[in-house]
Amino acid sequence: MDNVFHMHPRAAEHHQSSLDRVIPNESELTAGVRIEPGKSYGFFTDTTVCIGCKACEVACKEWNNLPADNLGLSGQSFDNTGALSANTWRHVAFVEKSGAGGVRAQEQQPFQSGWLMMSDVCKHCHHAPCMEACPTGALFKTEFDTVVVQQDICNGCGYCVPACPFGVVEVSKLDGKAHKCTLCYDRLKGGLEPACAKSCPTDSIQFGEVSDLQGRARRRVADLHARGVPQAYLYGTPGAPGATGGMSHLNAFFLLIDRPEVYNLPSAPSRPSRRVAPSLFSGLAAVAGLTLAAALLFSDAERRA
Amino acid sequence: MSVPYPVASRGPEDAPARPGSASERNMPAPGHDGSWDGPTYYGRPALKPAPFEAEVVGGYIFLAGLSGASALIATVADVTMGERAAGAVRRGRYTALLAPTIGSALLVYDLHTPERFFNMFRVAKATSPMSIGTWILVGFSGCAALTAAAQYASDRGAAPRTARAAARAASLPAAVLGAGLSTYTAALLAATSTPLWAAAPRALAVRFGASAVACGAAALWLGERDGGLARRLETLAAAALAVDLAGDAVSAIAYRRKGVAPAMAGPAGTLEKVVGTGLGAALPLALYAASRLAGRRPPALGTLAALAILVGGAAFRTSIIRAGATSAERPDVSFRFMQPDNLPD
Repeated sequence: MDNVFHMHPRAAEHHQSSLDRVIPNESELTAGVRIEPGKSYGFFTDTTVCIGCKACEVACKEWNNLPADNLGLSGQSFDNTGALSANTWRHVAFVEKSGAGGVRAQEQQPFQSGWLMMSDVCKHCHHAPCMEACPTGALFKTEFDTVVVQQDICNGCGYCVPACPFGVVEVSKLDGKAHKCTLCYDRLKGGLEPACAKSCPTDSIQFGEVSDLQGRARRRVADLHARGVPQAYLYGTPGAPGATGGMSHLNAFFLLIDRPEVYNLPSAPSRPSRRVAPSLFSGLAAVAGLTLAAALLFSDAERRA
Repeated sequence: MSVPYPVASRGPEDAPARPGSASERNMPAPGHDGSWDGPTYYGRPALKPAPFEAEVVGGYIFLAGLSGASALIATVADVTMGERAAGAVRRGRYTALLAPTIGSALLVYDLHTPERFFNMFRVAKATSPMSIGTWILVGFSGCAALTAAAQYASDRGAAPRTARAAARAASLPAAVLGAGLSTYTAALLAATSTPLWAAAPRALAVRFGASAVACGAAALWLGERDGGLARRLETLAAAALAVDLAGDAVSAIAYRRKGVAPAMAGPAGTLEKVVGTGLGAALPLALYAASRLAGRRPPALGTLAALAILVGGAAFRTSIIRAGATSAERPDVSFRFMQPDNLPD
């Protein structure tokens, strides 16, 4: 397998420890992908190699200048972050599987049977419900096929919040605008891979072109199946859980080894905009019927008068 | 649909309570609710509730329905009955101003950055009922304002013939847009991932539309002196309430079948059942039926029925907003709802 450390030939051009400038197309060195407008970029989050270090959470907060959410301990394993929010765009979920009744099991099956960790993020859906719902056009698809809220447009109507089937977007109480992961739009523009992916020490978070990542993920699943982890599956690739109900696929997708709900993900979300026409036309039909009834009633009154 | 993961698997067991966490808010522990026996993540919400204030948005939806239906019924009365319905037509045209004025103010108030309300006019999107509704409201406001202005002019005796013709000309598009105004709000709620709102898109829209017509008829009934027209407005309200109750029954079945019924078990659901359906639909229907059977109609009972319809209509909208938030906050409800068997075909 791929055990040898591969250095990109361009890395040799930057041998000094402190650089006086940004490395052009740095992502080529750090993620092996050149970032070009017009292509689809996303994350493949392989939860089987997540060690729960939360470097992604920290890197995200640092790069995006996000304020702290809640300080303190939740008592829910090592998850003191809780959930994605307006100020938290990466969230590491911790699931301690063994040890019912507060007593830790003495024996564990090999390979992650007792611990599940997952770095959750905005899924940058192909048909993004938040974007479809946005009445101002503040939410838009970037040239990198990612979904971003334009902060100078958003008027805080909050309609993207219930639209999201993953509970990602939130309106900030601090500034009254909707916020979520931008997939580091500013970094992508500068040729840098997103902060979380760059900081991930185990490559649990991989950044790249979505089609490449999907192929990589399928090979990883096949590899895991061959190594005796038959429960590994992808969440958010075409036809998989998470990409149901007209969602097509998620640009940020996951490799999971338990039910989606264990990681606080829905099994079968659906695209909300598909309900616009049925709802609108049923309501109009009902009103049209009652209007006809009113016309008949009133013209009858007129005839009798 | 076959799923690639083991369905018998459990989530974090014996999750300790956290201040303000789902378990402290008296939510059922994972697996203890009949609707969902799978895992949750420490009972934490999987969805975020809409950051809407229930009274503000519910109030807007109510006023939009009332205004739209008033404009619609006034136009129908004007076209079919002409001068004989002049009083009801006038009241309908003035009632139609509620949505453009108070309703719009409520909408702007509910924005979290209200000074940017005008950004709603940047785009028009068919995938966003809020955008559709923005433009319906804009169009309706213009037509309803023109209608009301012409009505006012003719009331004051200024160029009566021209004013009446102008009022009628503007009232026709107002009626069409009024139908949209009274029902798009259901699409607004249904086209989200909030389980309760998304569970019965068609039935919810039928209920919103029918309830709006009932509210409009009740509002026009108040102050109607012509006995014949008042009786017909009652009949129209009764027909609309019957449609509303039928929609209620259909949506109740859908809520149970899709596992979102637990969201209606709380105070919001009780308000919806007692005030929204009981006071707002069942009681007025019973009053109308009783007065029809008795062959006489004490005016006080008619007033009671009309007021009950209006109060019930407002309570119905508000409680649906509230119960929707509950359904989004309860992972047992949202996970049960977002199972493959609930996917649209």
